[in-house]
Amino acid sequence: MAVNYNQEPLLKVEGLKQYFKVSKSFTVKAVDNVSFEIYPGETYGLVGESGSGKSTIGRSVIRLYDPTAGTIRFNGAEISGRMNGETRKMLRNQMQMIFQDPMASLNPRKKVQDIIGEGLDIHHHYKNLEERSEQIRTILKKVGLAPEHASRYPHQFSGGQRQRVGIARALIMNPKLIIADECISALDVSIQAQVVNLMKDIQQETGTAYMFIAHDLSMVKYISDRIGVLHLGHLLETGTTDEIFSNPIHPYTRSLLSAIPSPNPVIEKKRVAESYDYKSSGIDYSLGTSHLVSGTHYVSCTDEEFDRWRKAEPFHYN
Amino acid sequence: MAEKKEKILEIRDLDISFKTTAGLVHAIRSVDIDLWKGETVAIVGESGSGKSVTMKAAMGILAKNAIVNQGSIRFSYRHENGENETVEILSKDKNWIRRHINGKRISMVFQDPMTSLDPTMTIGKQIMEGMLWHFKMSKQEAYARAVKLLQEVGITDAEARMKNYPHQLSGGMRQRVVIAIALSCNPDLLICDEPTTALDVTIQAKILELIKKIQLERGISVIYITHDLGVVAKVADYVNVMYAGKIVEKGTINEIFYDPRHPYTWGLLSAMPDLDTNDDRLYAIPGSPPNLLHEKEGDAFAPRNKYALLVDDKAQPPMFRISDSHYAATWLLDPRAPKVEMPAELKSRIERMKKGAEIDGSQL
Repeated sequence: MAVNYNQEPLLKVEGLKQYFKVSKSFTVKAVDNVSFEIYPGETYGLVGESGSGKSTIGRSVIRLYDPTAGTIRFNGAEISGRMNGETRKMLRNQMQMIFQDPMASLNPRKKVQDIIGEGLDIHHHYKNLEERSEQIRTILKKVGLAPEHASRYPHQFSGGQRQRVGIARALIMNPKLIIADECISALDVSIQAQVVNLMKDIQQETGTAYMFIAHDLSMVKYISDRIGVLHLGHLLETGTTDEIFSNPIHPYTRSLLSAIPSPNPVIEKKRVAESYDYKSSGIDYSLGTSHLVSGTHYVSCTDEEFDRWRKAEPFHYN
Repeated sequence: MAEKKEKILEIRDLDISFKTTAGLVHAIRSVDIDLWKGETVAIVGESGSGKSVTMKAAMGILAKNAIVNQGSIRFSYRHENGENETVEILSKDKNWIRRHINGKRISMVFQDPMTSLDPTMTIGKQIMEGMLWHFKMSKQEAYARAVKLLQEVGITDAEARMKNYPHQLSGGMRQRVVIAIALSCNPDLLICDEPTTALDVTIQAKILELIKKIQLERGISVIYITHDLGVVAKVADYVNVMYAGKIVEKGTINEIFYDPRHPYTWGLLSAMPDLDTNDDRLYAIPGSPPNLLHEKEGDAFAPRNKYALLVDDKAQPPMFRISDSHYAATWLLDPRAPKVEMPAELKSRIERMKKGAEIDGSQL
């Protein structure tokens, strides 16, 4: 779906910092000075290795954490500081989350209809019980489950079906933004494709935006309009999927792309992944400033690094 | 090849059930696997397809509620004095296997290094443990060998690392330690059960390259258990595709990737987006894997297979021969079956892959 980039962004994150104080003298800087935007109806992929802060960003944005610094604007309202009742209500309605492990994120003692309907109950989105079950039925159908599944418990479903319940729970509030935190990593390969297709269909239909957090780059490339590459809490490079994959500038992005296994044995057998080690690379992330490469493609580095990396031989992803 | 290839592992007609409170689960249904010296075999399948159980059987570490209905697992190895010996794993008792096979002849690398390492022991101790037990080596000798092993798996400053505990290492380092432990007793066969699933992509590539390098240097055989076709493409010589406890297609790596015949293999290959996939939708195999608690007549894959024939509901397809190394269990290969082509998207992708490989200058 074509995304209109001229309109106001749906989510605008600026200079987000999320620190966790472990002890008096030690603070973990999980997210450090990260800025990005998400436009209505687009899919923004956040990639990075474990510990890079990608999940933390998702959780800060939906305000499961209180951001240490920075501003987050969502849907025309500031949501980073103290929120008034109205803003909070808007946030809880319009932004939803899908979690990684469907078994761990669904209450085993509740029926599916009550899991999905919980948001409706809290926000009084129905006039009578009939309307409630009607809404639940519609949403179950939308995610490819049958109405009779409503009265079952999570353990009676397979992994892929459970993730569909998780998606239904997010969708029923009709959100403008869904944060999908590694929502396909725990699923089998054949089921992953089903869930990704479902998410794409839903986007076509409802125009919701996704923040797609993942470490599987081939899937991210497939689903995302734009991508942000994270490492050690810093957003190193961001741009459209094409820009990132055809012209990665940052050495970390390059090493990440070179590590994607391709399902082509002849090529794959001979390929050696580029290695990247932050400590020995001599790059200091905290010195980097945003440099425009082209279009919407930005890379975070110092002026000197920017010149050097741009002159480096172009990268070919086989 | 001039010299005759030496067979390391031969699994024939293996059939295993598990006794559970819900009833008998028929997990492995007539599996054949061959492995030759120095080669790499990959077993691919979804969770619950029986790939791990098969290899656990080969190591004699099946759970207590497992019942081996029939079959044989013959494992050949060479004694220190050069004598060859072939044993039937299934007929030996656990103690014998523990003393003679596990760790010494066949060792295993598990998925999650944090759960397979002992958090209360230094890694040096854990590497030395096997050598002290199997070879009655002196501590000094074992220590020296452990340091060498750590260097071999690419850990810098090995001597200092010997005193570290697992929690002091990063995920990739831990997996390197697990590999060092697996190699400590010079095994003939290394089984890697999802060795990189818990690791990040950048580290995954490094670990796979390491295992490959070690395999070349030592001439050992490796079995990979994985669901990731990208991993398979990188490491394997032969591929076995498993579904619902059966091998549905087997062949050399090129046969499976460039000329797949089973609809399930088609599905697996198409479900994985390569970086050139521009289609709006990914091909997805409909439905979910079957519950093996309930025996199904005919082909277990038929309910999810849009190419299924009537006969698929009645009888299990035999392994049809495509070439000397390539077999697939689908009725579509029967001469009486209607001619069915693989999905068009997959076909064009394979064409693309072949072209990519040719540009690369290598022979198919």
